[in-house]
Amino acid sequence: MSIRPARLGAALCGLAVAAVLSGCAGTEAPAAAALSASEGPSASSTSAPAGQRIEVQVSGGRVTGDSGRVPVSPGAPVTVVVTSDVADTAHLHGYDLDAELSPGQPAELTFDATIPGVFELELHEASTVLLTLQVG
Amino acid sequence: MTVLAHGVGSRTDLPLPLGLALYGAGAAILLSFAILLLFWRTPRLGGPGSGAALPLPVQRAVDSGRVRRGLQAVALAVAVLVTAVAVAGPDDPDRNLAPWVLYVTFWVGLVPASLLLGPVWRVVNPLRLLHRGLRVVLASAPGAGRLPALGLWPATVPLLVFLWLELVLPGRAEPSTVAAFLLGYAVVHLGLSLWFGEEWFASGDGFEVYSTVLARLSPWGRRDDGRLVLRNPLANATVAPVQPGLAAVVVVLLGSTAFDGLSRTVFWQTGPGAANDVVSGTLGLLTMVALVAVLYVVGSRLSGRLAGQPVHVQPRRYAGTVVAIAIGYTVAHYFSLMMLDGQTPWILASNPFGLAGVDLFGTYGNVVDLTAVSADVIALVQVGAVVAGHVVGVTLAHERALLSARRARASDQLPLVVVMVLFTVGGLGLLFGF
Repeated sequence: MSIRPARLGAALCGLAVAAVLSGCAGTEAPAAAALSASEGPSASSTSAPAGQRIEVQVSGGRVTGDSGRVPVSPGAPVTVVVTSDVADTAHLHGYDLDAELSPGQPAELTFDATIPGVFELELHEASTVLLTLQVG
Repeated sequence: MTVLAHGVGSRTDLPLPLGLALYGAGAAILLSFAILLLFWRTPRLGGPGSGAALPLPVQRAVDSGRVRRGLQAVALAVAVLVTAVAVAGPDDPDRNLAPWVLYVTFWVGLVPASLLLGPVWRVVNPLRLLHRGLRVVLASAPGAGRLPALGLWPATVPLLVFLWLELVLPGRAEPSTVAAFLLGYAVVHLGLSLWFGEEWFASGDGFEVYSTVLARLSPWGRRDDGRLVLRNPLANATVAPVQPGLAAVVVVLLGSTAFDGLSRTVFWQTGPGAANDVVSGTLGLLTMVALVAVLYVVGSRLSGRLAGQPVHVQPRRYAGTVVAIAIGYTVAHYFSLMMLDGQTPWILASNPFGLAGVDLFGTYGNVVDLTAVSADVIALVQVGAVVAGHVVGVTLAHERALLSARRARASDQLPLVVVMVLFTVGGLGLLFGF
């Protein structure tokens, strides 16, 4: 990771602050932990052998499978498989990719996660957010 | 259409790395005490008579009614074009210029423009030009006498309405929504300006007030002898008038930006905001504004009580110092939107009405480069902006305390400084995404 704040920051950072912040932070930030761990020179530390496969299903407006925030290693090949019970278009923002969905038929989006950031995968007609990809 | 925060956009920022958030918070806290204990003990930022005067021809040009009306006419032409595109342009928000111009170029762009150039929207506000036209028909302004007492309070309403539209309303990016907002905004404020007179815009036009409040930290000011001057932005912020309602405006800005940050966290998206509807969004926005308001009022009043000063004037007196923290928040939240999705309007301007075969600047086929600014740079700018805003805020509050009591003790300022630290650590926490 190329962010390297001045070392004096370490001296400045009071113990109390660290305690307060990590107290708040410990609850719900697995993604951020993965973020700092996975950005080293060897990106193969996480389970991304040939490509990360993310599967999500929609039925009766309910989203199941890999919904929520899904961490992805930067640059890694990714395949998102979407299965919907109604016809719609799945749109991945930022990457600007579309997959036409037919009822019951799994549709795939395959791409390399080259753009860092947080992106929503959304059903165009229903405006349902299927998942958010966190690349970084 | 997209349910992302802040109106439009194809992406949101990655959570801040934990280490960077901690360094930022630690630096903010330590610098606060350094400012309190080690900085000057008598006011020294410069009073209303400070600053280097601009050459008279420059001042005459800037103050000239003809120049201002010319600039207002240009702004009006752009506003009419954007409204026309919102009404008659492409239906797809991703291909329509209007939402991008309103939420990114204008609303976010107003921040750097006002910080660098001063209160720009006051100078080019196209509604002022329309008002002058209407005043020929209706000459009197029966409510003008009431404006000074209202101060900036009226501006909190349009600001809250706009921020609710930007951050809460699901259809915010639809061109029809943008058209309705722009036309409604113009009609309402022109009507109110007929009742209150042209100075209504300085009091109640949310965009003009936003620009003017931001410009308190610009290097351009007006000296007590009326000359336009270039001076230290901190001195500018110190001598800016203490207006009724300024605290409310600042609290609305800070609270809404905090809600923008909150709405991107996993906590919000899977917890209180999981429904992602108008009710949860409205409650979230109002809760964050109320939280900021309570913290600020309690902190500033407590500082006043310790210093033995009348407590009711305290929130107003110190509001100008919190502007710096609000600016830091705003830069942290909107920097990447401006740099990345801010490219979109320039592409769409090449064919505003989406007609086949039109490509005025040859850029219509371009694609936004979402890697133009790296994630590391964004994270550094975010932490840098929040910490810098905090340091400026605490410094201004320190100077303000010395101005209001010559022998102000550092300990009297502590409650307000603690609140500022809470704002900053909380802001970093939202960027970290707890």
